[in-house]
Amino acid sequence: MSKEEKVVFKGGTKIKKGASGITFDIIKYALLTIASIICVVPFILIISGSFSSNEVIMREGYGFLPKEFTTEAYQAIFKYPQEILNAYEMTIYYTGVGTAVGLTVIVLTAYVISRKTFKYRNVVSFLIYFTTIFGGGMVPWYLMYTTILGLKGSTFIIWFPAIMTPFFVILMRTFITGSVPDAIIESAKIDGAGEGKILLRIVLPVLGPGLATVGLFLALGYWNDWYRSSLFSTSKSTYELQFYLYNMINSAKALQEMSESGAGVGAISVPSQTTKLAMAVVTTGPVLLFYPFVQKYFVSGITVGAVKG
Amino acid sequence: MTTVTANNSLAVSLNKPVANRRFGLLISLFISVIIVLLTLPFLNWILIGNDAKVAKSLGVSFSEVGAKTGYPAILFLDFVQKTGAGKLGFPAALLLMLCVASIVVHVLFIARLLINKPNKKGYLGLFSIGKAAYILTILSGLGGIGYCIYANVTVEALKKKTVIGNAFHPSWVVYAVLVIGIAAYVMIKIMEAEERKLYHEHGLLKEIKKNWILFIFLIPCFIYFLINNYLPMSGIYFAFTRFNFRDGLFSSPFVGLDNFEYLVKSDLWKLTRNTLLYNIAFIVLGNSFQIFFAILVSQCGVRWFKRTSQTLLLMPHFVSYVILKVLVYNILEYKMGVINSAIAAAGGERIDFYNTPAWWPFLITFFNLWKGLGYGTVVYLATIMGISDEYYEAAKIDGANIFQQIRFITLPLLKPTFIILLLYAIGGIFKGQFELFWQMVGSNGMLYNVTDILDTYVYRVTISQPLNMGWSTAAGLYQSVFGLIVVMITNAIIKHSNPDYALF
Repeated sequence: MSKEEKVVFKGGTKIKKGASGITFDIIKYALLTIASIICVVPFILIISGSFSSNEVIMREGYGFLPKEFTTEAYQAIFKYPQEILNAYEMTIYYTGVGTAVGLTVIVLTAYVISRKTFKYRNVVSFLIYFTTIFGGGMVPWYLMYTTILGLKGSTFIIWFPAIMTPFFVILMRTFITGSVPDAIIESAKIDGAGEGKILLRIVLPVLGPGLATVGLFLALGYWNDWYRSSLFSTSKSTYELQFYLYNMINSAKALQEMSESGAGVGAISVPSQTTKLAMAVVTTGPVLLFYPFVQKYFVSGITVGAVKG
Repeated sequence: MTTVTANNSLAVSLNKPVANRRFGLLISLFISVIIVLLTLPFLNWILIGNDAKVAKSLGVSFSEVGAKTGYPAILFLDFVQKTGAGKLGFPAALLLMLCVASIVVHVLFIARLLINKPNKKGYLGLFSIGKAAYILTILSGLGGIGYCIYANVTVEALKKKTVIGNAFHPSWVVYAVLVIGIAAYVMIKIMEAEERKLYHEHGLLKEIKKNWILFIFLIPCFIYFLINNYLPMSGIYFAFTRFNFRDGLFSSPFVGLDNFEYLVKSDLWKLTRNTLLYNIAFIVLGNSFQIFFAILVSQCGVRWFKRTSQTLLLMPHFVSYVILKVLVYNILEYKMGVINSAIAAAGGERIDFYNTPAWWPFLITFFNLWKGLGYGTVVYLATIMGISDEYYEAAKIDGANIFQQIRFITLPLLKPTFIILLLYAIGGIFKGQFELFWQMVGSNGMLYNVTDILDTYVYRVTISQPLNMGWSTAAGLYQSVFGLIVVMITNAIIKHSNPDYALF
């Protein structure tokens, strides 16, 4: 191809690109804006609802802006805050312990299966992976923890089942192999460093992004979980926050109890509809507050997971 | 240099006429065929003497229930079912599993022997399958003997007054299998040791000695998966029992396929249909939307817009399904919901979503897409970002407009990611999105016909009818087994057409 021809082609494409480019520009910005709005609007509905007056909501329905701005719903929640504070405390406990233990176990496992000189790494990887394609189902799993191990009602059982998943192990292994070349580990071994020392001194210091990403995945899972409480909790003192919310919105009874317990000390009427929304805001608040700061780790985690499949 | 010598030594060792090995493999083949024949349900493994007394202490009469006095290990559960001896059931199921596993691995071994294709580690792979096969044989032989002892003790304990003596005893087949299995195992072990020398390989014990600290690192992971995944697999047995509190989990009567029969007669078809259709809709629509939006985001020139839209699209992924429930209620509720308020304000007819099943397939699919859009978009965006700019530059030079670039560059290069995601999704096609369905529909029986999936059914039965957990275990097992079959088939197809994409 001669130089002249290239120039001609370039000129040609410029015109073409301009024409189809503008249509495409309009379409893409419009569609992305609409999709973004659809993703956000429900949150706005909840927040505005939680600041609305219950009576107006009952009469006119929910809307995009607070109707007769009031904080009565939040006042109702925090009038007798023991239960919700307890649920908060327990959830922070589950999240903290579960994430810490989980990260430790995941790093140890991922380190072992990342070592190319470890003869059984494929066997171990397959045994871990196999759990994703076959399992006994929910009932045997449930009975294992309750009838056989007798753990129903304990706090251990809320965090233990979620400390690791095959996906997190693979993700962490990818982070390890990506940030520590094999040659470095091998030369450290030649210099006489043990596996423990290699893990602590060589791998961990550069594993920051991996720890942050997997840790956040774990923490989010714990924060948003309600399922294990619904199966294993026997008293309100071990409820997870989401399950507390779930119970509250599910039973008008819970709200009644709230107002009755209030009635003993000094009657308050609990605004039934808006309280649910306020509870939703209170439970999700921390997640949405942290979200902008941790989002990049999530994106990097998803990206790494995606690239490696 | 080293590779050349390695190749040479490999070639030498493979071509070396190892007479012992060839002869040994031939004998193994012969033994394996015999063992399979002995294990198949032709010959009796467990003989029952004193049948009148055994029958008496089990509270049945053999002739009435049609029980026999001799059973192959594989069919012993038949005896358990007919005599209603629940306590004998679980170990019998384990014995059955051992025998089946033994047969399966032996058949694999025989197939490998017949194909006889050494790989780069020579015959070591073949030997490990052979070892596994013979270990399973030995275990099933020992299992047969152990089971008889267990059965004697158990039946004796049922009625203390009658002295039955050793009513259950293993037949000669069990001993024969045991002896042949041990002999064959020793033989193959010797051959393997010789083979290992050729390749400077070592066994498990030496590996533990060399890398013991790595094995210690694996202990927590091992404990976790044992408790959380592998031990519960034995609970599959509950799918074949009718649970009652008096006898307990492992001693309730064995009922064979009754639970499955019940499921097939009642809801299984509906549950399967719903689960599959929803998942197909989620996979097709989900991936289309995600690819579409990933391309849109990648084409954004304005940085802040790109970042903001990505942030907003990912937001629904971060909230729990309980919050989703609040959202959905907030939007769809009859009196106060946003949609109905708007309709009423416009003077239209309110829609009773919570009592109209027809709406729910669309609603559930919509909210699934809503929650998953951001995540999938990021996944595809990662791939798009990895595409070299040179392709696009070249396309521009050739005069391709933006749509042509997407059609002929972006989409083809997204194919690998799409196939991997598709494989994962198809593997889970029998698993429903439990949290989504449970939170959106909950126990609204009105909508079950179009919204009940296998997972919600199992959960509901477990929570509310503990006595019927045979059904829910059966439904869960059905789900697991068909899920596994689908994974295997998909993987085989992919492996056949393009090995790089295969899952394992």
